Amino acid sequence: MFKKVIYKSLLLLAVIALVNVIYVFTIYPADLKNISSCAYQCKNLPEGVDIVYFGESSNFTVDGNDSTQLYISELIQFYAPQYKMVTIDTPAVHAGIYKYWMKEMKLNLPKAIIVTMNLRSFDGAWIHSKLETPLIRSVRLLNNKPKIVNRFLLSLKNAEDLSIAERDSLLQKEWRTNRLKFPYQFKYNTVREWDNAMANGGWLKPDGSWDMDKITLAAHYIKAYAFNIDENNPRIKDFDEIVAWCKENGVQTYFNILAENVAKADSLVGKDLVFLMRNNRDYLVNRYSKMGVVVVDNLESAGINDFLDKNWTTEHYNYRGRIAIAKKVVSQLKIK
Amino acid sequence: MLFNSVHFLFFLPLVVAMYYILPPKFRWILIFISSCYFYMCFVPKYILILFAIILIDYISGLTIEQVHDKKLKKFYLVFSIVSNVALLAFFKYFHFINENLEGVFKVFGATYTPTNLDIILPIGLSFHTFQSMAYTIEVYRGNQKAEKHLGYFANYVLFFPQMVAGPIEKYQTLGSELKKEIKFNYDNFSNGFRLILFGLFVKMAVADNIAPIVNEVYANPMEFHSLEVFAAIVLFSFQIYADFYGYSTIAIGAARLLGVHLIDNFKTPYLATSINDFWKRWHISLTSWFREYVYIPLGGSRLGNAKWVFNILVIFFISGLWHGASWTFVVWGLLHGAFYLFERLFNYLFKVKIKEGFSVLNLFLGIKTFVLVSFIWIFFRAESFEKAKDIIKAFLKNWHVPLNQLQINYALFFVLIIIITDVLLYKSRIDNWLHVKKPILRWSVYVLLLFLLMGMSGMDNLPFIYFQF
Repeated sequence: MFKKVIYKSLLLLAVIALVNVIYVFTIYPADLKNISSCAYQCKNLPEGVDIVYFGESSNFTVDGNDSTQLYISELIQFYAPQYKMVTIDTPAVHAGIYKYWMKEMKLNLPKAIIVTMNLRSFDGAWIHSKLETPLIRSVRLLNNKPKIVNRFLLSLKNAEDLSIAERDSLLQKEWRTNRLKFPYQFKYNTVREWDNAMANGGWLKPDGSWDMDKITLAAHYIKAYAFNIDENNPRIKDFDEIVAWCKENGVQTYFNILAENVAKADSLVGKDLVFLMRNNRDYLVNRYSKMGVVVVDNLESAGINDFLDKNWTTEHYNYRGRIAIAKKVVSQLKIK
Repeated sequence: MLFNSVHFLFFLPLVVAMYYILPPKFRWILIFISSCYFYMCFVPKYILILFAIILIDYISGLTIEQVHDKKLKKFYLVFSIVSNVALLAFFKYFHFINENLEGVFKVFGATYTPTNLDIILPIGLSFHTFQSMAYTIEVYRGNQKAEKHLGYFANYVLFFPQMVAGPIEKYQTLGSELKKEIKFNYDNFSNGFRLILFGLFVKMAVADNIAPIVNEVYANPMEFHSLEVFAAIVLFSFQIYADFYGYSTIAIGAARLLGVHLIDNFKTPYLATSINDFWKRWHISLTSWFREYVYIPLGGSRLGNAKWVFNILVIFFISGLWHGASWTFVVWGLLHGAFYLFERLFNYLFKVKIKEGFSVLNLFLGIKTFVLVSFIWIFFRAESFEKAKDIIKAFLKNWHVPLNQLQINYALFFVLIIIITDVLLYKSRIDNWLHVKKPILRWSVYVLLLFLLMGMSGMDNLPFIYFQF
């Protein structure tokens, strides 16, 4: 009887293999376009592309009053017209998603890729963001499994499809337990301690009352930038994977570290936070330069007034900021 | 743990394998542990509520059997029922009762400040309490001997395939099934697999592809054309059916893999020719529960027409309230009751006799019943009377709103499939139907079901609707 079960189970596996073939040739292309349009774009990259620019909202957010409405990638193309460039972007994405997209570029490989390296994407607040579950689901079709299995997994509840509450609990734990590392004595051990101190002894208005707007913003800067990147950071693993894929496929790699409002961080929180931002930048530059990646350091390329969002931490710039970033990228482009 | 989760796809084969490896006398321990684990994947601490239900009814059952005084027997039965209902009332109806008290006080010019408690309804509480109460009632009536083995009784309440959304079983059936010394049987294995495959298809491909359309329209009905609102009303009928029918089929299939036979909960309800017929085919285990433990004790149809009408309305009132702590559910139940009575009266006055089988009259009656049931579902689906009113208003008046906002082709395709399968399975169940077919047809059906399930299921991973009850 057990033989019969094994025989039927094998037959079932064969049926699933058949179903996989039918799926790949019928519905899969439409599913890919619908679920992961950026991956679909990568898969159908035109011939002769020199550079593919991978970005998030930093690329396409502009101010309506700007003298130029060109995106960062369009500005790069403007300053480097000799290269044929394609931009692939969508909001809130990061290296953990780019790595899936670029692996779809199988038929027509570009000569180089420029990958946005957003410092905040290494932070717990982004890693455990509520957007992460839909993002992970958006690339599930691209997992290294038979396509029909990936499609089925998309319809099932998966372990990594965490709810907003579950993600928030992970973030709170990280803020509570991850110890901040400084090469000198620092009075707060964790983000939670630093955040509490800011909330309980932060900025005062001239009339002596708490300046809650400023305190909230300062606390937000702490939560966004107070962390130490090391090799255990999931984004590092993602960027490492991107580097490995590029090497394997002979694609030149450029990482574009985006500008952050360092001056504002300094004025709101102080030198300690700026130290962490610069220290993290240095870690990324050193790590990936050694791997042969051209790391374009734009961390401090935009001035305090070049950021569109004055009361939040984003990488959205006015035309001056976008031009400065694009020019620096172009200055380091050497496509062979 | 959801049936439509990766977790369950690993959990079930593991439990089944261990079940047949273990000697029969230890299997109850496996079922107990795996059922606890299954339930604790939702909200772990709520297992304590289940333990409380188990202990109360286990002790009540033993005591009812042991005492000889009828009054004492009744006392322990009432104790069991009140305890179960109190648990249900606290977790499910606390806010509902409070809100209504506030309203009543307001009517009399008094103020009542509702107590705010952070209560989350434990998944499946209405099912556990009803199943557990059925046991003590049966012991009280002398139809069932009290179970002395706490483990077996616990498994009756906890049995993971049906613990969160039924079918609601009697101890006479499930209890004895769980005690059987079951040997591995190929028929159980293949039928269980067929039921699970079909159940997953019905839930994930049919219900989950319809749900986004229904949700979109019910969120903002006034923005949609009357025809689109009509489509959403009809589609919800299929969504709720596929959702619950899918769950029940998976539950029956999962139990079957363990050699346990559960009762059928659905028998092609949308092919019913009357509301009466509908309730013989929809959520059969709950209908039977109400008939046996409420309707008949109230006197059924034996005490004159007025009392019978009253009893019918009471049953549908309770049924509505059982589904949800909201007056919309009560109206949903009462509308079923009202139409049920109207049909009975109509059939009596005009001496209508409906014969089984296909006929033009039955087709007409089937469509009439479906239209009525679909209309009544509006009150089940809408979160409030205002929303239900908006849906009806939008359906009647939104002919001027531009059409073509909804993409319903996919959903209609699956509706068509569910109608075809219902016609095919009118007198059978999917496992039995496939069992007698030639292998080539059987395996062709597997290929089709697997393709539709794995390649075309909805992508929103929606929980089962009936889990909230």
